[in-house]
Amino acid sequence: MSVDISVKIGGEAGQGIQTVGDILARVCLKCGLYLMAINDFESRIRGGHSFFQIRISDKPVNAPNHSINLLLALDKKSFDLHEKELVKGGISLMEEVDAPAKKNIIAIPFFELAKESGGKITSNIVAAGACLALLGAPFGIIREVITEGFASKGEDIVEKNLNAAKAGYESVGKISFKFAFKWKASRPRGILIDGSRAIALGALAADCRFAAFYPMSPATGIMAHLASAANEFPLVVEQAEDEISAVNMIIGASFAGARAMTATSGGGFCLMTEGLGLSGITETPIVIVNAQRPGPATGMATRTAQADLLFAINASQDEFPRFIFAPGSPAEAFETTARAFHLAEKYQVPAIILVDQYLNDSLFIAGKALKVPGKVKKFIVSDTDMKNPSEYKRYALTNSGISPRAIPCNGRAIVMVSGNEHKEDGHSSESAQTRTEMVNKRNAKLSGMLSGMNPPETYFPESKILLAGWGSTKGAIREAVEILRKDGINAGCVNFSDLWPFPAAETKKAFLTCEKFYMVEQNSTAQLGRLIKEQTALSYSGAVLKYDGRPFYPVEIADGIKKYMR
Amino acid sequence: MVNIKDYDSDVENKWCPGCGNFGILAAMKDALAAQGIPPEKILIISGIGQAAKTPHYLKCNLFHALHGRALPLATGAKIANHELTILVNSGDGDCYGEGGNHFMHAVRRNIDVTLLVHNNKVYGLTKGQASPTSDEGMITKIQSDGVLSETFNPLSVALALGAGFVARSFSGKTEHLSKIIQEGIKHKGFSLIDILQPCVSFNSVNTFDWYRKRVYDLFEEGYIPDDFNKAMELSRMWGDKIPIGIIYQKEKPSYTDKIKKLIENTLISGKYSQEKVRNAIESL
Repeated sequence: MSVDISVKIGGEAGQGIQTVGDILARVCLKCGLYLMAINDFESRIRGGHSFFQIRISDKPVNAPNHSINLLLALDKKSFDLHEKELVKGGISLMEEVDAPAKKNIIAIPFFELAKESGGKITSNIVAAGACLALLGAPFGIIREVITEGFASKGEDIVEKNLNAAKAGYESVGKISFKFAFKWKASRPRGILIDGSRAIALGALAADCRFAAFYPMSPATGIMAHLASAANEFPLVVEQAEDEISAVNMIIGASFAGARAMTATSGGGFCLMTEGLGLSGITETPIVIVNAQRPGPATGMATRTAQADLLFAINASQDEFPRFIFAPGSPAEAFETTARAFHLAEKYQVPAIILVDQYLNDSLFIAGKALKVPGKVKKFIVSDTDMKNPSEYKRYALTNSGISPRAIPCNGRAIVMVSGNEHKEDGHSSESAQTRTEMVNKRNAKLSGMLSGMNPPETYFPESKILLAGWGSTKGAIREAVEILRKDGINAGCVNFSDLWPFPAAETKKAFLTCEKFYMVEQNSTAQLGRLIKEQTALSYSGAVLKYDGRPFYPVEIADGIKKYMR
Repeated sequence: MVNIKDYDSDVENKWCPGCGNFGILAAMKDALAAQGIPPEKILIISGIGQAAKTPHYLKCNLFHALHGRALPLATGAKIANHELTILVNSGDGDCYGEGGNHFMHAVRRNIDVTLLVHNNKVYGLTKGQASPTSDEGMITKIQSDGVLSETFNPLSVALALGAGFVARSFSGKTEHLSKIIQEGIKHKGFSLIDILQPCVSFNSVNTFDWYRKRVYDLFEEGYIPDDFNKAMELSRMWGDKIPIGIIYQKEKPSYTDKIKKLIENTLISGKYSQEKVRNAIESL
């Protein structure tokens, strides 16, 4: 038996969609199923329309599906909007009073059942129980998940929610559902994790000591996770008065010897570009996460996009080396964040991690254990590493471009740092020769930095045509390749996560044998395609671009590519 | 024993001859030596402007940063290592203009740094435009009909935001300024020292003579800076008589005092724990 079904839970913000989604996801996890889930919501706290769409499978899934098998509509609007997405044999499960007299609708009085069982605020739990019953999930597992999930709120709350779930579970009675399947308790296939949490954990695994930020969707979750963990760690999380302050705070903390990061979205990153340059010229390592959303300006606060790649590469005036990464999954986000801290400190440069709303807010299963180092390597020198500390020069010229980095007030070595162009000792200078030497010194790091970059990951690399993308679209692109291959098209893909310094040689190698390659990106001008052209002189033959603020469905990509095959 | 000479820097000074900044530089060296803080134990952070060049002109650990952004940078450094003694050199444009928002929030945080604002009531480095503290009506090449905005009053603003150390001094009275800087360093929490500083190139009104005729030392009058309302009143006094000295002082826990984990250890001396990270992952 092969399972691959999608359930959409729709309703107004504030109706408890998240809680229903979380219960579904955790029941799946406990039954050894794979899943991935997207969160779609508006920029509001109450009302409007939101949904949580979970894809459940017995094989790994890393992208949402375009069609659904079961629609749990917590309000009428959700039914009206999404009924058309149901596959043949799919059904809608909805509140009795909202339900139109139509086929394929199971109407349950969620609200009345909630009042009788767990209290009126538990109608979402009634709905969760009904939904899982239809899918064939055993109540024992639901009981475990609810008991664990509400434990911190006290026995009484657990009891009420269990009663509500039970009432919902029993309400569907013996109704048979075409897509129901056999569930059994089993070992989880991995940990359930979204991009936000993965980045926060990656920062902890890199010994991040200080994080400053200004709230901005979809980056705030990262800082919320860090703040909730901070008590256990030598870590301070500070909410700054604005993004300009946030980036300068982390530069100050890093200068003083604490690994530091910030997280924001495009608009906040715009404000940080001045600080990015300061990090560049002062060679102070920092990590900036830009969780992309559609822009420019405010754009769409709760939607997804991948349109800041060329901006990130070029942000700030003048030129200086920097790292740009774009992880393709939460597991990669964890690993990449830790690596960004390491590389930023090793090369004394800023590192930018580009994620997006889709990656940050979607749940994935990370199958492999997240690797946590026993020791975190640091690159700070002190008096004992120096021949003569009183002669210490922060910007001593070296072949690698990397000067030994000491921290202030930590011995006899005096540390002088300037955002003005400076001499080796750190004092400002307007000398033509010094200026040239310092630009060359900073740029000299690029070759070392490039050697630390991972090549793009390939899937069916020998194929006639290759799809190419970056960051969070990896799962959807790989699945699109599978669809295309099933349809007889000899396709593979190339997924980039390490973007700057650009791995040009590896990129040329990846596209060496294909006849054509096509870009798949969430921006309107194929930014990676343009970058590849600039860096390798290779031209893409077409592009499937989506910039409506919603994540790619694999079938959309496959359909887009097929248009080029005609 | 720390000697004033220990702070000598061989960097060429680029201020105009007779600049009010020289008095501030001398007072800083004097204060640091008097407090027995050797050059390797002081961190001076500055923004951009003539004032922000100061740390290059004395021997110290320094971070010459961005226009207006010295305070957030100092905040990050202080949180990372709260044992650092940090001075911030800023100017009226740098601190009250470009960095106005950061100034307000640094006061609110009560971060334990000593802020020296070289207030010459004009932009020096960009050649004579009006600054936030320029007098209403002041005529410049840009403000040819005179400054239209009200004059920014840093002392009143700091007091209103709950600052625990609000002082004013005059760069023509080095000894007074040195004492105020020392009090600022000793004060646990954010210290604002607004320094009246003549600009010999672009401000022909507020000259050394102009100030000498008007400033009077509050300490000599027996003023005790513990009354908020009286302080507010003094902060608004300007004209024939200009008070200098500590206008208001009240100790309260500084920002880093309020972070429990920093009581025993600085943030940078904390220890990484693989086990704790693993636990955080497993708690998912």
